[in-house]
Amino acid sequence: MKRVLTLLLVLVAGCGGAAAEFDPAPLPPDLRADYRVFARRCSKCHGLERPLQSGIDDDQYWAIYVARMRRMPGSGINEENAVPILRFLRWYAGELRHKRARSL
Amino acid sequence: MRRWLVFAIVVGILFGLFGGRSARAVDRNIAGSAQLDLHVVPKLGDDDEKSDPNYHENRQIPLTGFTTEASLKLVTDITDHFSVSAKLCFGCHGFELPLAHVDYRVADELNFRAGRFSPSFGAFNLRHDPANHRLSDKPLPYDMGRMLRMREWNLGVLPSPFPDNGIEVSGTHWFGLVAQLDWAAYAVNGFRGDSNGTDLDFRASRSRDAYYSDNNALPTLGARVALTVKLDSENDATVGASAMHGTFDPEDRLHYSIFGADLSLRLDKTTIRAEWLARRQEFGTADPRIFRYAVPSTGGDFFVKHGAYFEVEQSLTKRIDVIGRVDGLFRIGNVVLDSDLSRRSSIFRVTAGASYLVERGLRIKASGEYWHFSDPDDEGNHGAIGVHLALAASF
Repeated sequence: MKRVLTLLLVLVAGCGGAAAEFDPAPLPPDLRADYRVFARRCSKCHGLERPLQSGIDDDQYWAIYVARMRRMPGSGINEENAVPILRFLRWYAGELRHKRARSL
Repeated sequence: MRRWLVFAIVVGILFGLFGGRSARAVDRNIAGSAQLDLHVVPKLGDDDEKSDPNYHENRQIPLTGFTTEASLKLVTDITDHFSVSAKLCFGCHGFELPLAHVDYRVADELNFRAGRFSPSFGAFNLRHDPANHRLSDKPLPYDMGRMLRMREWNLGVLPSPFPDNGIEVSGTHWFGLVAQLDWAAYAVNGFRGDSNGTDLDFRASRSRDAYYSDNNALPTLGARVALTVKLDSENDATVGASAMHGTFDPEDRLHYSIFGADLSLRLDKTTIRAEWLARRQEFGTADPRIFRYAVPSTGGDFFVKHGAYFEVEQSLTKRIDVIGRVDGLFRIGNVVLDSDLSRRSSIFRVTAGASYLVERGLRIKASGEYWHFSDPDDEGNHGAIGVHLALAASF
């Protein structure tokens, strides 16, 4: 058991260099408040990896996705919240498209 | 009839996967998670054992085991109103299909769901996936097999998730920008048990060996209503109530009713959750000799099992969360002769844990727990301690 714990501590010490779930530093200043609404509202039922690693880079589908999440029981996402959430996700989708285009 | 329902669902899923409008890849969303949990319960020696000079050598480890839970979920939005979902899970029971349903949404306030799904009950059920809770195990009322003395207690009140076949009508309505009201009502096959059963038979309930469709004629009916109020732009509170009622024996004579109430608060970096469940469970008394206590002529044909938990989750940094939880079960009623329980039995557990986010989607969870049982085990012990260490990944 001690060995397992030691191994885990070493693993933890060795990891964690990258930003936690998302590093908001490169965000344009006018999107930081939008990110905050996204991070707050979308972490109520699941981790932020769910939307951020979904691979969705289509703005129209994000609109459908956020609308579906808004309807989830107890989501607490009202129509006013959906606007900044979508603004951030559209920026994120744009970054994803750029990254994919560069990798081609 | 059932064959046609299965056929319709399969066609819907295939249509969602390979057909439909424009068939763009972006209309499908895949999510998944996996958790490996190590549960260690060292033996608590009694005073006589501790006085033994060879105590440490004699000390045994009665429980050390890994459990794995993994799932893959696919949601396909065929149109703005019509979607198909399917989920494949691997866990203690092997591979299962807990989700395979179609949703047709008329409006936000009216959604029809048909197929296989976990009916709306309680708050924890919404986040039962191990990726969505910071401790690696479930609260006792919802335990599904990782609690100590699970056989004696026949699990918690309502194992989560509890997928079943049926239909559900649900909806959500916002009152301005402040309050969200959710509601759901459903009819499903329900749990199963023997003709003269003394409790629900959860193994038979999830098995198709004995009954391909259902073991009785009446569906189980249930409903949930919850109100979420935004306290300000970032914080909110949710209060909910749930109920379920059905029969479990082939003759539809024996009933069970489950009630639940829940409250959750999100205040800055702190989340507080409390939930209570109770199951009123009828049992067959055709042969009163199988019971330990005398069966009265009226009112002696049921027991009540309560379960509750209270937990506080505190985010310390962007990577570290700490969690404290107290939970328990309380059972009142007659027991069979060879039961290890008594007329009034209880379990109380205290858990303290932490979760570390290694990187996006990857968490280490660790917790320690202390158990207290009102009934002693074979060696006279009322207590136990346990440790969980888990790695959870999700995408």
